[in-house]
Amino acid sequence: MPKHYRPPGKKKEGNAARYITRSQAVKHLQVTLPVFRRLCILKGIFPREPKKKVKGNHHTYYHTKDILFLKHEPLLEKFRDIRAYDKKVKKALSKKNRDLAERLLTRKPDYTLDMLIRERYPSFIDALRDLDDCLTMIHLFAALPAVEREKIQVKRIHNCRRLSHEWQAYISRTHKLRKTFISVKGIYYQVEVEGQKVTWLTPHALQQVVPEGVDYNIMLTFLEFYETLLAFVNFKLYHSINVKYPPILDPRLEALAADLYALARFIDANSKVPALEPPSVNSSGSEQDKAHQKESKLDESELRLAQLQHQLPSNEPGALMHLIENASGEEEDDEETRECKALFKNTKFFLSREVPRESLLFVIPAFGGVVSWEGEGAPFNESDQTITHQIVDRPTQGRRFLSREYVQPQWVYDSINARIILPVEEYLVGRVPPPHLSPFVDNEAVGYVPAYAETIQRLQAAARKEVLPMPGLGKEDLDDPQNLLAEGIISRTEAIEAAQKKQKMSILEKQYHEELKMELKGVQYSAGSNANKQNSAEDTEAVEESLPEAAVQQVAEDVASMAKVLMPRRKRKLYEAMKIGESRKRSQVDLLKERKKKIEANKSG
Amino acid sequence: MKLKPEQETVTNGEVDNKEGEEEEEDALETSSGSDYEEDDADLSEDDDTLTESGSEESEFSENEQEIAATSDDDYSTDGADHGQHDHGRTDNGRRQQKQDRGADHSQSEQNESDEDNQGVEESDSSEDEVAPLNTVGEVPLEWYKDEEHIGYDITGKKIKKKERKDKLDSFLASVDDSRNWRKIHDEYNDEEVVLTEHETKLIRKLLKGQAPHANFDPYAPYVDWFDFEDSKHPLSSAPEPKRRFLSSKWEHKKVVQYVRAIRKGLIKFDKPKEEPRVYHLWGDDSSSKEKSGHGLAYIPAPKPKLPGHEESYNPSLEYIPTQEEINSYQLMFEEDRPKFIPKRFTSLRSVPAYEKAVSESFERCLDLYLCPRARKKRINIDPESLKPKLPSRKNLKPYPTTCYLEYRGHKGAVLSISTEDSGEWIASGSSDGTVRVWEVETGRCLRIWELDEAVQHVAWNPSPDLPILAVSTGQDVFILNTGFGNEEDQKRVKELLHVEKNPEPDDSSNATSIVGWAQDDKHGGVRLKHFKTVSSVEWHRRGDYFSTVMPSGESRAILIHQLSKKVSQIIPFKLRGLPVSSTFHPTRSVFFVSTKKNVRVYDLLKQKLVKKLETGLREVSSIAVHPGGDNVIVGSREGKMCWFDMDLSSKPYRILKCHPKDITSVVFHRSYPLFASCSDDCTAYVFHGMVYSDLNQNPLIVPLEILRGHASSNGRGVMDCKFHPRQPWLFTAGADSVIRLFCH
Repeated sequence: MPKHYRPPGKKKEGNAARYITRSQAVKHLQVTLPVFRRLCILKGIFPREPKKKVKGNHHTYYHTKDILFLKHEPLLEKFRDIRAYDKKVKKALSKKNRDLAERLLTRKPDYTLDMLIRERYPSFIDALRDLDDCLTMIHLFAALPAVEREKIQVKRIHNCRRLSHEWQAYISRTHKLRKTFISVKGIYYQVEVEGQKVTWLTPHALQQVVPEGVDYNIMLTFLEFYETLLAFVNFKLYHSINVKYPPILDPRLEALAADLYALARFIDANSKVPALEPPSVNSSGSEQDKAHQKESKLDESELRLAQLQHQLPSNEPGALMHLIENASGEEEDDEETRECKALFKNTKFFLSREVPRESLLFVIPAFGGVVSWEGEGAPFNESDQTITHQIVDRPTQGRRFLSREYVQPQWVYDSINARIILPVEEYLVGRVPPPHLSPFVDNEAVGYVPAYAETIQRLQAAARKEVLPMPGLGKEDLDDPQNLLAEGIISRTEAIEAAQKKQKMSILEKQYHEELKMELKGVQYSAGSNANKQNSAEDTEAVEESLPEAAVQQVAEDVASMAKVLMPRRKRKLYEAMKIGESRKRSQVDLLKERKKKIEANKSG
Repeated sequence: MKLKPEQETVTNGEVDNKEGEEEEEDALETSSGSDYEEDDADLSEDDDTLTESGSEESEFSENEQEIAATSDDDYSTDGADHGQHDHGRTDNGRRQQKQDRGADHSQSEQNESDEDNQGVEESDSSEDEVAPLNTVGEVPLEWYKDEEHIGYDITGKKIKKKERKDKLDSFLASVDDSRNWRKIHDEYNDEEVVLTEHETKLIRKLLKGQAPHANFDPYAPYVDWFDFEDSKHPLSSAPEPKRRFLSSKWEHKKVVQYVRAIRKGLIKFDKPKEEPRVYHLWGDDSSSKEKSGHGLAYIPAPKPKLPGHEESYNPSLEYIPTQEEINSYQLMFEEDRPKFIPKRFTSLRSVPAYEKAVSESFERCLDLYLCPRARKKRINIDPESLKPKLPSRKNLKPYPTTCYLEYRGHKGAVLSISTEDSGEWIASGSSDGTVRVWEVETGRCLRIWELDEAVQHVAWNPSPDLPILAVSTGQDVFILNTGFGNEEDQKRVKELLHVEKNPEPDDSSNATSIVGWAQDDKHGGVRLKHFKTVSSVEWHRRGDYFSTVMPSGESRAILIHQLSKKVSQIIPFKLRGLPVSSTFHPTRSVFFVSTKKNVRVYDLLKQKLVKKLETGLREVSSIAVHPGGDNVIVGSREGKMCWFDMDLSSKPYRILKCHPKDITSVVFHRSYPLFASCSDDCTAYVFHGMVYSDLNQNPLIVPLEILRGHASSNGRGVMDCKFHPRQPWLFTAGADSVIRLFCH
């Protein structure tokens, strides 16, 4: 009898019944592999890892319930219909029946993914939680060229662009952006929406490479789902701030590829109108009319006037607008949002041609700044006297206004991450800027703090009006190691050393005091010393410290290995694995430290 | 108009009731057909009645008879139409009448039109009527430019050019003349021609690109020029088929099909309305917890890793690997090779597009839908917290910690040691074939026996008044008199060892034929000759019995000897597996035999197996019994030590993995709660092993100390260890031929 013999009539049990391989699943559903793939992607079905792989290790296993779930999906039936319909069209075409083909093509069966989204993300928070990949993908496709051969259509690229701009406009308007990071791969953004941290990557605004060895069908299937998801998320978000969705943009700005700005304007106009004005006024369409009205209504309240002024296309969205914003939206914001909103409050930016405009147009308003750019449709031009910062990225700047700073774009991103306005000296035009550090790294946890991070910390503390000691001059603080630790600037080892030194000092002191006491009592010195010896014997640490270093190390090792002796096997293995991980991390940090030392030696030498 | 088809259907019904459900469609069709024709007829009525005649005239000669004939010919189409339109009757007889009338009617029309035609012809065919004056023909008029005449008339006379009018005159004339705009100068004849209204109409039509004749119908029904009636031999003699008179059946069916499809809504004429594709998907019930449909837990995909400092476009210098490091990556395995090599750009404008953007995104997609997902618990704890909490070692003192004395003198590895009951002396056996007895406190060697082979095992007699040693070497076991103790003891010992001589003849008897007892005068003791190599000797607590183990002895591997009677016997139990060592229970008459895999516990009185302890180890090397008798430790060749609580179970209570190499010996202290193990890795571990009298409380095991000091020789480290019987001291015998004493 074979090992896995199952008598006839007896059902499969256990893993054999619970999991089926992919080819079995495909056969079961009676679909082709591409359709199966598509279904899996859209439904979010993924393979599972059974404890016992009945069919062997080189198979992909799906849970039977997952496959049944797919089987009852209406989309499956829809896909079949579409296939049949396609055959009809093909037949008509091959019979030269063009009318029929055309008529059929006008009424192609279509499908929607709304219910799938509802099913996969029962609540809005769930959708936000899963938005990282969605945003990254949509931003990537927004930057890709349309490729006929790979079926990347212009329409979809435009849709991606629109969706990404809508998302950015919302974030920018509500000041939800938290962190940014320019990497070689593109620009990372982290936002916090409804308590969920969402991070995505935007490629640099350059011609993207479309490589060959990529199955675009799969990517486009994912994109299809993501497009729908983001549209629904945007809808919900826009409605939460009382803005109509989909937004209607100023065609002039749209034509100038300033979609983001147009969107921001739309949101500003739309979100405020219902709050301030009676609903009878139609907000979006009649901007021009209002401009005319404006002249006649000079005696209107300043609030109203400011708002109208803002809606004028040629007018700047200036300080007045911010007044309103602050007045209206303060109460529901949390503290961080308020902090973000106020970061670039009193600054006015102008972007030169060569800087990444889209990114900065998104980032600066998100932190409360006012921004314009070189080109048509800009709210104000370069000669504006109130501009405080001009972002340039060129070797030299010819014509300069004295009233403004000429800084490199990195300054904006670094300031945002540090949440303070950094001094501009190091970022001026033509200089090599200081290193750009990732805001996503917890330096303390990694164990290595880059030099510039320390500088930024000091600046932050200075901004908070706290005085921090300079590293290296901290010797006088030795009697308060706690304070040092709290500040977290001097490395931990130093603090530990100081603490140990202090401990020893205190032990010696205590000993001395006790001796004095005994002398006073008139106890025989020898007995006292004996007692002392016992004391010290009890304090093994003290004894161990008196030993030579190698011995101390040996003792420590012994203690460690003896503790390991009693651990159960599973725990011991876990412990060892953790130790290996730790040592790997440590070796990386060591490598960094070593490199740094070398670089410094080269500099000085 | 609407009523007519109804009437018709009624009459149809009256005429023949065969038609079933198609009736309605039929009616509809006919009505639509008649509608069309009616319109046509109306048009023709509204227009001049010339239409038909005009067209006919162009094709046929102006023969009245022929006209009549053609009109008769036309009847099939034209006449029928008229009939239907006029009266809507289907009655055949009446139709005939009507047809006749229609024919008459058309004939009369024809006549009228002919008359009209003549009137028109005057203007139309002016060229035919008035012959051209000039007869030069189609020559370029330039030839006559400089001549006085313009040509010749029909008689051959020159036609003189007319005098040119003065410009002013011509202008004045034109002002006065209201028809001036119609005047054209005919260069050929050199005269003014006034266009008639009809001619201007023609010109207009030509300008529009239409047929010039006002009454020309470009869509006139085709009339075959071939006249079948008159021909002698017709092309086809078949009578005109009926289908020519009826509307197409297939077309009719098609129409019916379409009508039905339209009724059912299969064919829609209005474009589908564009519905808004986004709406409030997550309504107000965002708080409601809907389970995923199929009851399986959804495992969210892990989020992509966030970028570190090294991914920056402008990282700190220390994050950039040097050239040598980058080169060394090439030597690594592909999996280990870092995927991302940090690079530094001094300005943002110099950063190129990332060429792997799409492929990385694609890989992420693949991960999302192809990677099996399983929920893994990531433990985020301090590794130190995994260590069990042990009582402080300080509270468990005393235990041996430091090396106090070394006993040197052996030339080879010390394989075994044994302590005397009082703890004053120890005996040691070495691979150089000597047995030595040392004074513990001074380290002085008191006695040496030189045996021929390596001494495997030495054991002091546990009874205090019998200072004798059992020594196993090769196939022999010696019982040696150490010569300690007072005279009385000596006397007793000598007596005990002396009586041995007598039973020698007993050898011949079958009872003890396995072992030969013999007096050994050279060493002053008894020699027991075995048939295989003896690996160990263990005394019973009373000091009368002792057991020997011969690992290769098969069924007779373990023997129990009685010294007082000089008798040896095989244990009456069947062993399964190779025996390794044996011990006696410290208080009861229980005997432990360890084979390679497990330990068997026998009751000697009842002569049966009490328990089998399953170690789960690969190869047991040594065994020791707690002085309480309920706990056993077993050391193994793989460096593991098992603690058995025999009351608890036959499985180990605790397995301690302490040594990386073979454990050579394990031992309990007789009075202190201590036990120790020594191994070939040159270390000995000392443990605190407290056994409580309360049965509910598990034994407490705490590792106390690692004792080092021995050197490794030939891959062997510490060969044996023994506790001092009264003090918490440990003796260790090393393969480096040194015995060490560790004190607290």
